[in-house]
Amino acid sequence: MKHTKTAAAAAVALLSSVTLAACSSSDDSVAGGACEPAGENVTLEFTSWIPGIEGVVDLWNAENPDIQVKVQTGPNGNGGTYKNFFNQIEAGNAPDLGQIEYDALPNFLVQDGLEDIGNCEEVMAAKDDFVDWTWSQVTLGTESSVYGVPQDSGPMALFYRKDLFEENNIPVPTTWAEYADAAAQVKDAGGYITNFSQSDINQFAGFVWQAGGSWFSTEGDAWDVTLDSPESVQVADYWQDLLDKDLVSTVPAWTDEWNNAYNSGDAWTWVSAVWGANSIASGAPDTAGKWAVAPAPQWTEGGTDAGNWGGSSIAVLKGSDHKYEAAKFALWLNTSDESLTALNEAANIYPATKEGLNLPVLKEGVEFYGDQAIYDVFKDASSQVVPDFTWGPTMTQVYADVSDGFKNAVSGSGTLASALADGNASTIAALEAQAIPVAGE
Amino acid sequence: MTATTTGVRVKKPARKRAQHKRAIAFFVTPFAVLFSLFYLLPIGYAIRQSLMVVEREGTFGAPTEVFGGLSQYAQVFQDNDFVSSLGRMFLFGIVQVPIMLGLALLFALLLDSPLLRGKRFFRLAFFVPYAVPGVIAAIMWGNLFSPNLSPFTDLTSSVDFLGADLVLWSIANVVTWVFVGYNMLIIYSSLLSIPAETYEAARMDGAGQFRIAWSIKIPLIRPALALTAVFSIIGTLQLLAEPQVFQSFSSAVTSTFTPNMAVYATASIPNSNLAAAMSVVLALVTFVLSFSFLKFTQRKEARS
Repeated sequence: MKHTKTAAAAAVALLSSVTLAACSSSDDSVAGGACEPAGENVTLEFTSWIPGIEGVVDLWNAENPDIQVKVQTGPNGNGGTYKNFFNQIEAGNAPDLGQIEYDALPNFLVQDGLEDIGNCEEVMAAKDDFVDWTWSQVTLGTESSVYGVPQDSGPMALFYRKDLFEENNIPVPTTWAEYADAAAQVKDAGGYITNFSQSDINQFAGFVWQAGGSWFSTEGDAWDVTLDSPESVQVADYWQDLLDKDLVSTVPAWTDEWNNAYNSGDAWTWVSAVWGANSIASGAPDTAGKWAVAPAPQWTEGGTDAGNWGGSSIAVLKGSDHKYEAAKFALWLNTSDESLTALNEAANIYPATKEGLNLPVLKEGVEFYGDQAIYDVFKDASSQVVPDFTWGPTMTQVYADVSDGFKNAVSGSGTLASALADGNASTIAALEAQAIPVAGE
Repeated sequence: MTATTTGVRVKKPARKRAQHKRAIAFFVTPFAVLFSLFYLLPIGYAIRQSLMVVEREGTFGAPTEVFGGLSQYAQVFQDNDFVSSLGRMFLFGIVQVPIMLGLALLFALLLDSPLLRGKRFFRLAFFVPYAVPGVIAAIMWGNLFSPNLSPFTDLTSSVDFLGADLVLWSIANVVTWVFVGYNMLIIYSSLLSIPAETYEAARMDGAGQFRIAWSIKIPLIRPALALTAVFSIIGTLQLLAEPQVFQSFSSAVTSTFTPNMAVYATASIPNSNLAAAMSVVLALVTFVLSFSFLKFTQRKEARS
């Protein structure tokens, strides 16, 4: 029996040394590999969560026998794919290409998970093809580095129940002040003007973005955290007021209950991104033909500022041996008419390129919205998105913490503004816990 | 590993033991390999991770892991959210575990009593919720509690089952509903193993059904009760799926509502070092609690 024990112990020791060696091998990464063609046939691995992406990749594979792309689909980013990426990066076997939303790019960069494709000529040459602010989302404030190819964007506008607004003689709000007035009238008519999203903080971030605020910036070598900036607090106070007066509902976003609120006519408007058009159509099918889209309410009368909610890039993940080919595929996927049309047909992807906004499919009337050519509104919004919004390196934590605070505020303890202040403090703590330098600390 | 080998400790002449060694190795190796690969190794790796800290330079500096001693553990105990999630689970366990086990014991005694008809039906009926996956059960109850989607909106719109005050007990309700039948079955099977003569003797002494249940059945199945209690303590501290599902129904369930959710949220940042330290602390708390409970019940048993 003793022998067995020693043998087992030896096996454990052996196994652990093997695994530990495997774990530490990710340390010796080559910094900033060159961007050169491999000169042989390559196969790229690509992970994405866009429904129908396989069909789009097939178009590429048919034309490019020397660069074959193997696509794997997973849950959306925060739903699990990012976690997989982080684990794969740590284990040193990440796919060559990954779908990463703009707000998660800094997080991947501080975890050393991205290849800089700024030294790929074709990537730099494509800079002017993209809507300006989307390009700054992937360069992260640097001059010569590029950490992903922009794929889509989520300019925000106002979805509203045209029929109900007309029936009740409520004018469609063009400013946030008018929106608050309309909220009172809607309440009198027995509905809620909208549902405040306390669980998905991205919408709130979009509002702050529109108001000209930003939650992060870099100061020299350090991060400045400004979750409670004046613009941010202004937006928080505005919604706190609507919450206090019980003019907005607060069911958790993206749930059956939430769909039910829109489907049953309880919620009358939604300030959301271009992709929200699909969310309403699928979540509230009984309201077909009753919706319309108008520009988002403004903070100043006659203003033309838009916020953004969502949008993602295709990034080359750390450890890819085929940076050149990967970048080439990512560019094709996100700039060619062929691919953008296919992506839009498959998943309503709203392109990040200037040309892409003129695709024929984006000129047509949409049946669910009473045949309104809704994408015209979003095209204008896309050009009005404030360019300087910067995401921080721990957005998953920021969203979780702010959402916890917002949930408390909605349940009656604390306010949205105090939740932002708490979130600011916990974010600074989270950055310091990972030795990420914070300005003024 | 010792636990598996104690059973084969049979006295044999010394020369025969050599053959046995091979047999033992043959039977133990598959277990030992799997046990080390999927149990000891991950635990060892988690402990190693929990002792490291990350260092980096500049805004986007690449991280390097260095040995940091117990600094992650210091952070765990300074983390108010994590500590209060532990407190929440203590409260949950102190209330929910006795209620659940009380019900399980009651149902098991009823099933075992000669007074009840349709035992097979009830045995199955009580056990069926356990066959429903926890996530599905949580979704079902979440809908029942919801003020807008529930079939009992009259009740749910006046009592806020999903609000900050009650949501913990709504979750306790789900857990109780799922696990009463399971615990009942463990207790019931232990009741079945009590020899019939014991009851005969009791009846001859003039004991009624209640007296038999109180003075004979319950003391005899005390080990089964202790076992279910330990399982429940562990289950409570590991609560994850039900509250996570409830997040989509209730604003009162934060991302750090239970210790496991806090670990999950920290691992998503990703701050795997801190998450590892939290996991180790949670495992130690679980270990200490379940063992002190076992010791406590054993001492009581020895005294009685």
